[in-house]
Amino acid sequence: MGSERGTGGRGDETDAPVAVELDGVTKRYGETAAVDDVTLRVREGEFFTLVGPSGCGKTTTLRLIAGFEEPTSGTVRFAGESMAGVPPEARDVGVVFQSYALFPHMTVGENVAYGLNFADPPEGTTRDERVAELLELVDLPDAADRDPESLSGGQQQRIAMARALAPGPDVLLLDEPMSALDARLRERLRAQVKRIQSELGITTIYVTHDQEEALAVSDRVAVMNDGTPEQVAPPRTVYREPATRFVAEFVGDNNVFAGSVVDAPAENELAVDVDGGDETLRVRTDADPGTAASVGDRIAFCVRPENLRVAGADGNPGDAASPAGENALRATVASAEFLGETTRVTLDWGDRELVVRVVDPIDGAVAVGFDPEDAHVIEVESR
Amino acid sequence: MTGTDTQRLTRLREGVESHALTALAVLTSAALVVAFYYPTATVLIEAVVVDGAVTLATFADVLTDPFYFGELARLLSGESPTAVARSLLSPDRRLGIVGFTAYQAVLSTLASVALGLPAAYLLARFEFPGRRTLRSLTIVPFVLPSIMVAVGFVATFGENGTLNAALTAVGLPPVDLLFTLEAVVIAHAFYNAPLVARVTTAAWESVDASAVETARSLGAGPVRAFVDVVAPQVYPAVLTGAALTFVFTFGTFPIVLALGGFQLATVEVFVYRLVRDLSYAEAAALAIVELVISLGVLLAYLRYEARSSTNTRGARPLPRRPLFPPAPTLRELLPRAGLGAYAVVAGVVFLAPIASMVLASVTGGDGALTLDHYRFLVERQQTGAAFQVRPWPAIRNSLVFATGATLLALPMGVVVAVLTTRRYRGRTLVDAAAMAPLAVSGIIVGLGLLRGLVFGVEIAGWRIAASGAVAIVVAHAVSGYPFVVRTVSPGLAGLDRSLVESARALGASRARVIRDVELPLVWPAVVAGAAFAFAISIGEFTSTVVLATGAHAYTMPVAIERFIGRRLGPATAMGVVLLVVTGLSFVVIERLGGEHRGL
Repeated sequence: MGSERGTGGRGDETDAPVAVELDGVTKRYGETAAVDDVTLRVREGEFFTLVGPSGCGKTTTLRLIAGFEEPTSGTVRFAGESMAGVPPEARDVGVVFQSYALFPHMTVGENVAYGLNFADPPEGTTRDERVAELLELVDLPDAADRDPESLSGGQQQRIAMARALAPGPDVLLLDEPMSALDARLRERLRAQVKRIQSELGITTIYVTHDQEEALAVSDRVAVMNDGTPEQVAPPRTVYREPATRFVAEFVGDNNVFAGSVVDAPAENELAVDVDGGDETLRVRTDADPGTAASVGDRIAFCVRPENLRVAGADGNPGDAASPAGENALRATVASAEFLGETTRVTLDWGDRELVVRVVDPIDGAVAVGFDPEDAHVIEVESR
Repeated sequence: MTGTDTQRLTRLREGVESHALTALAVLTSAALVVAFYYPTATVLIEAVVVDGAVTLATFADVLTDPFYFGELARLLSGESPTAVARSLLSPDRRLGIVGFTAYQAVLSTLASVALGLPAAYLLARFEFPGRRTLRSLTIVPFVLPSIMVAVGFVATFGENGTLNAALTAVGLPPVDLLFTLEAVVIAHAFYNAPLVARVTTAAWESVDASAVETARSLGAGPVRAFVDVVAPQVYPAVLTGAALTFVFTFGTFPIVLALGGFQLATVEVFVYRLVRDLSYAEAAALAIVELVISLGVLLAYLRYEARSSTNTRGARPLPRRPLFPPAPTLRELLPRAGLGAYAVVAGVVFLAPIASMVLASVTGGDGALTLDHYRFLVERQQTGAAFQVRPWPAIRNSLVFATGATLLALPMGVVVAVLTTRRYRGRTLVDAAAMAPLAVSGIIVGLGLLRGLVFGVEIAGWRIAASGAVAIVVAHAVSGYPFVVRTVSPGLAGLDRSLVESARALGASRARVIRDVELPLVWPAVVAGAAFAFAISIGEFTSTVVLATGAHAYTMPVAIERFIGRRLGPATAMGVVLLVVTGLSFVVIERLGGEHRGL
């Protein structure tokens, strides 16, 4: 799989200079490669997120950047300079861990000031001013004399952030900094992290397993699987045009169809005989040359649940079909999860499942359809 | 100071800091080489080099001598295995010195486990007033000087001991346990059962209650749940205790010397005797045999530990039951009755020796209370001849040596702890090399230091010699620092790795992180390690007795040994003084060390 797929060439990256670069980086533990030939560029001031399931290598990638691990092969560069053999303390990085790792034997103020033992505060500020400034930044101005253990999880997380930022690092590395917090607090804090990041304009590399969080805060996202990024792109691109089946299924809910192309009725339009169903579905391909297909090819495409239209049992299948009357499927409601604003419904379609989102409750036999433009081709296997 | 000067200074400081850990590691290795590996090697080499030629003759002599190896020696000298096996099974078999040493070590280990496990059960599973204190007290025997324990046993089990006094009082005939195998085994159990109890309790307390509850909910009865869930997690700790007990008792010296005499001689006692007779080659060969057996057990154990150490601290420990339930049922009564019986035995084994020693120190020949023995110590101090052992120099030397040994053992132990908590290839080897002093005969280390450092060595034209006092400090540091490692390592290993990484990302060098973050957080363990080293030094007898010969560098334990042969009274009085000093170091351990895993 080309690791460059979905990167570059589409204005995804800014023109800012490259802050952090991974060049063919591999990290092996014995036989297994935790990180497998990764090439990435993170631009200055960018909020870059590594997202993926546990064991995908995202944390190892971060640790390679921080210098806690040395790559088995390949090079990590900061502003073009190789970091091979450079210990973490000489890399100008700030790190925030999931466990916050506040020094329990120091006060909050001493924690924040610790990095200033090794780096001078910015021109014209004293140590104390710098500490006060950072506590202000994370909205905990009065916490300096407190004991880290007397703070709540969310507050500890913010102090860890202040401590990491105090010496003015070039790069901020965040390793699942919110995983230990509850959902509501996580949402509030990620907004704060994003605000601080854009206020300071600091290059930030963020590791999370939560795809929703990744989409919410990032300028660009690298979706990782098995030690390799499968797609590196802005959140919208990752969501709308997933590059691989893995990305399609990992990021958000999705319905993935596989089948054979039986006709190409118009330019950028395919007719596909879907596996496990009698229907022939119409799919519009986009301009991406990677998704060009011809008759006889096997392809996979996906349709987001919110793009699947549903008509109740008494309705005509045509009500759910596209304006041109294409792509109408018959399915049965299998289960429903009420989520508040919408209801997520799982449908049985033949021996397969479809996921749709509806506002009004549905039950029994339903008709489902989608517009050919809402389908996104993710894989093409030429004959 | 100008800006460039400051910069240069900063760079210098950073340079020193970034290499500090390496430098300390090199210094520690150098100290080990000078104080342990080199002296040991010089002695051991005599076993294979006779008159400048390499030979295995001395070894062959030792290995095939029934005096050392009993019936097994005949096997080594080529007799048929069946004949040897037949003699081994006959009642009048000969074990030889080595066989006997292993035999008493196995018995001692069994006794220690048998005495230690009920204590672990009591401490881990029951709640009662004073439980925490009792748990802390399990560390006491370990810091008690073995020679003092020996005095306590003489005062208890000797001809005029408290046991016979008690037996006579109730009209039973007196027994003489002194100079019997039983006395030696009980003394070893006194020493090592608390160790078994301690490591087992720690493991038992770390069993997660929800694992047991899961087993119960799946249909296992309480016994089955214990066998399937608790026992597998506890038994590695029992094995740890047993392995260490075996190694300690296999190399036993002062206890056997005082309680067994030469008729129950173990390998170490015999090495001592050979050294006194100046038969260095034979002593060295015998010491190597001892070392190989001890190291074999220790290495097997370390390999096992490396394989099975998961160290999953129980999220929720098993709940403790009250020891004295308000209305006990029969099922509740049974284990408690067993523990009651155990308490009586434990009282005799653990408390009687100490109590008897204190009692004997204030009892005159006529049985009346007296301070005569202490007065004797004072008089001996004032009027003693130059060749006689005087109390004050012994006390002063003990304190000075212990302070010096602690100051040396502490950095060595911390460095080794730091090096062995990180995971890397060959860590077990480093661990074993650093822990080897636990397995090598103190006699050999002492002798090596005596002939190497004290008599002087010539290296590239430089003559290096140290006084007996310096050599004693060095020897004590070497035997004490493994305990620093053992107390500090678990704390370091338990630290959240991201604390260290955060500090490094903030710009601190590895050595700086140790100073700023790791040591402050494991400080109680460091202090406990220091107290350990101090107590070990205060009580060290084996290498001291070798090094103190000739020099006026005798310590309290050596003084006790000199007294014990002639008069028990002053020996017990000296023992009480030693007890007070070690008791104080115990208070320090307890105050600052708190509860920690491991030894």
